[in-house]
Formats: sequence, C-alpha cells, structure tokens
Amino acid sequence: MSALWDGLREAVRLIASGDGELFAIAARTLLVSGSATALAMLAGVPLGYLLGRARFPARTLILAGVGTGMGMPPVVAGLVIWLLLVRNGPFGGFELIYTKPAMIIAQFVIATPLVTAFTAASIQALPARLPDLLAVLGAGRLRTLWLLAREARLGLLAAVIAGFGAVVSEVGASMAVGGNLADDTRVLTTAIVTETSRANTERALAYGLVLLAMAFAVVAVLTLAQQRGPR
Amino acid sequence: MEARLEGVSFAYGDRTVLDVPALRFEPSRVTALLGPNGSGKSTLLRLLAGLDRPRAGRVLLGGRSAPAARAAVAYAFQEAVFLSGTLRANLDLALRLRGLPSVERRERLEEAASACGVAHLLTRAAVHLSGGEAQRANLARALALRAPITLLDEPLAGFDEQGRRRLLGELPALLRRFAATTVLVTHDREEALRLAADIVLLREGRVRAAGPKEAVFAAPPDPETAAFLGYTLLPTHVGLAGVAPGGLHPGAGERTFEMHVEEIVDLISGIEVVGRIGAARAAVSFPTAAPLPSPGERIAVGAPGSAIVSFTATTPDRPPPATVDRPARAPVA
Repeated sequence: MSALWDGLREAVRLIASGDGELFAIAARTLLVSGSATALAMLAGVPLGYLLGRARFPARTLILAGVGTGMGMPPVVAGLVIWLLLVRNGPFGGFELIYTKPAMIIAQFVIATPLVTAFTAASIQALPARLPDLLAVLGAGRLRTLWLLAREARLGLLAAVIAGFGAVVSEVGASMAVGGNLADDTRVLTTAIVTETSRANTERALAYGLVLLAMAFAVVAVLTLAQQRGPR
Repeated sequence: MEARLEGVSFAYGDRTVLDVPALRFEPSRVTALLGPNGSGKSTLLRLLAGLDRPRAGRVLLGGRSAPAARAAVAYAFQEAVFLSGTLRANLDLALRLRGLPSVERRERLEEAASACGVAHLLTRAAVHLSGGEAQRANLARALALRAPITLLDEPLAGFDEQGRRRLLGELPALLRRFAATTVLVTHDREEALRLAADIVLLREGRVRAAGPKEAVFAAPPDPETAAFLGYTLLPTHVGLAGVAPGGLHPGAGERTFEMHVEEIVDLISGIEVVGRIGAARAAVSFPTAAPLPSPGERIAVGAPGSAIVSFTATTPDRPPPATVDRPARAPVA
C-alpha cells in the first residue's frame, strides 16, 4: 500500500516540477495515438458508413472480418507490421521500423476495426428513410452526409473514444514496431514497462497515473461533445 | 405544374413493378393513386419525387426530369421521419434547404403548423411525437414548402379512427390552401373520393383506369377493378354484371335479382341486409322503418340500369388509358 502512496506522491511531484521526460513522453503518446485515431476515423468512418447503409454480397463477410479485427491482440498487429516494415521485409526500404510513423501505422491497424464497427452500427441504427427524406428536402450530398453524421453523433463519438482508448493503452504493438527508444519512440505504456523492469515502481506508477489522467481528459472532452446538442 | 410519365417502367431486379406507357397529372388538381397493396403506388410516387430512376422512360415535372426538378416537389412519407431537435428545427430545416430567408421561414412554418394543428408542438422534440402528432407534423413539413407539386404517401395512415376522420375532413381545405398539383397515395376508396378530383387506379404495376373520379367509378374496365372500386359482381347469362356501390335497393327494379338473406346488420344509421345472389355476396341497405326480411328468406332486390356495368365473357382486355384526362369507358348495360 505504501508503494502506491509513494507512486502517487512521485506522480504529483513529477507533474508539479514540470519533469521534462514525463511531459515529452506524454506529448509523444498524444501525438502517436491521436494521429493513429484520426487516420482510423478517416478510413473507418466512410467504410463503416458504407457497411451500415449499402447492401452488397460481401458485406456480411466484411462485417465479420471487422468484428474479428476488434478483438485482435495489439501485439499480433505489432508483429505483422514489424514483419512488413523490418529492414529485410517487403516495405523495409521505407526505413520506418522503430520510428513514430511505424507506431502510428500499427495503432491505425488496431483502431480502424473499432471505428468501422461502431460507425456501421450507429449508421444502421438511423431511420432507414432518413437519406430519402434529406434528398427530397433538397440537401446535397455533403449536407446529407453532415446531417446523417450529426444524427449518428453518439455512435461516431463512441467510435473515436473506443479507437483512442484502445491505442493509447496498448503496449505490445508500440514495443514491437517502435522499439521503445528513449527520447524517440518511448510512449507512456512502454515507459511503464521499462520503469517497472528497472524496479523503478514510483516512476512507473506516476506514468500510469498520467496515462489515466490523459485518457480521462480526452474521453471527457469527447463525451461532453457526444452528450451535448439536440435530443 | 403538370407531372407526366412517358413510357416508364421500373423493376426490382428482374421483377417489373411498374409499367406505365403514358400518364399525366393535371396541374392544380388533386389526384389519388388508388390500388391494393403492392400495386406500385408508392413506387410511382418515388419516381415522381426523383428518389428512384425509371429503368426506361421519362418522368417530367413541368417539362424537367424528376430528379432535376426536385425543388418543385414536397413529399410526405407514409412513415413520419424526423431529425433530432425540436419540431420547429425540423420544419425550419426543410425551408432552409429550399433557400428561404429566416423571416419567411418563420412565417411559413408557423402558418403550416397552425393549420395542421401542431403549433403547440413546435418546441417539442420531433422524434418523441406520438403517432397522430407525428403524422400531422409530417404533413405540416410538406405543406409549409408550398411546392408546385405535393406528394403525399398515405397521409391518413398512423391515425386512430377519430384522428383519421378529423384529418380527412380538414385535408381538402389544407390542400387548397397550401398545395397546387397534388398526388396522394391511398388504398382506401373513401379517402380517394373525398380528397381527389382525379383517380389513377393501379393494379399489379399497371394503370387500370385513370381520369376524373366520376368517370373512373362509372366505368371500371374489368371485373377485378370493379370489385376493388366496391362493385358487387353478379353472374348473368352473358358474363358478369357489376352493380355500383350502393346501387342495390330492396324490391324489384330495372334489373331484378333474387337474394338469399343470410344476416341482418343494424348499423344504427340504417339496416344492412347481407346475403347471396347466386354465389356472389351482396349487401342491400334498408330504411330503418321498412319491414325486414328474415335470415333464410329469398327476397327480390333491384338496381337501376345506370348503376350496372356489364362484363361480357368475350370482352378482350382493354388497353390502359393514356392520360388522366382521357378516361376509359366500359359499356353500360
């Protein structure tokens, strides 16, 4: 119990003293996981919209694939991306392995199925006649998409929350493709592993608390946006 | 604004659900698309709204193709659908998408909401309105647009009987005030007769009769259409005779039939004697003061010649009428 208190005290001290390493790692975590989530939204929202609205032969198969992807262990995604990006791998020439872009790619692979599945479910839950209504009212294509997104905002923001929550907390993929390089690819989760292995539990716990606080702050902002607006 | 279909066919996959060589909706008149479920009424309405494209042919609204002329159309779906937000926001969005300035939007939506009896619901969440309220709000949204062409899909669906009766009484005045050319879908004869000047009768995706309602009701082209219009079909030695709704009366007439009485129904406003003429089921209204027959009795019932349409066994299928202003006429016995 005293270790927990020591950790809490250390966390407060590190934050209050403006510890450079802590803030650099936290900022890097936000950059990597935020970018991966944004890219997952760019790919997953249109794909989810298509799966939610359109009817085509392979739709159910793709939905099943997306569902499977939601349960994929991050370390497996990391392993696959590592095999693709490693120096003698098919994309080794890009020299991305053990860089932040490699981590973003791996986290994108983890987040996209979540974003896609949440989007498809929220679009499918809208009244079937809604697009027809907007069409006869004279809404153009972009306006229709915007109004549908506004109607599906609960599900779409749940998609962002789920995607960000999954990637900010994963450790296996970031470790595999990022390499946990100090001052370069170390993020909060890999830093926790490092500090724990060094028996530096106070600092590990401090990183853990900062990670939780950061995740809470991002999710709270998204939840606020989700729960506001017309009912 | 007139609406016109030229050589239009529409199919879901291999199944043709609508085949209309030519049909014209008169400007500034109310036309009812009447027909049983699955006859193609709603499909025709969706083609007029440009929501579906015909597989062949053209749908023209005021000379322009249907999707391009969408700004001329107001459409109330059978199932009222709203966006989240208040009813006011929903009605306002419809007007905003037509590019109207805010002052005019407010005037128009309040006028239509008041006329349709939903002004007191404007601040309520539209998606939480009850069935009847939502249907009236749905109608208000379409009427507020004051579009050259108003399309109403089963506007009286979703009401309880009292609400339906009330709106049925109010709709003609609402349409006169807010709508120009109106096409409404119904499967109910009474609604068609009360609301429309013209009737297009659809069955199995084809126009079976079209024209002013008096002409359509006076001359159904075939026994099936006659039965749908409420005619009593009676076998005769040359084929079938169709007696117009309410055409049978007690006692002998220009044409007299023998009826085997099965049931006496007291409708409070009158008495209906139900029975069989040959194998066909028929009903005759009796005045409340008249002496009534008993079940099992055989009585004479008559009909004036003007109420009877004959369908001879050798009559070939007439081609469907070309336009609503040139109704088909069948020989009258």
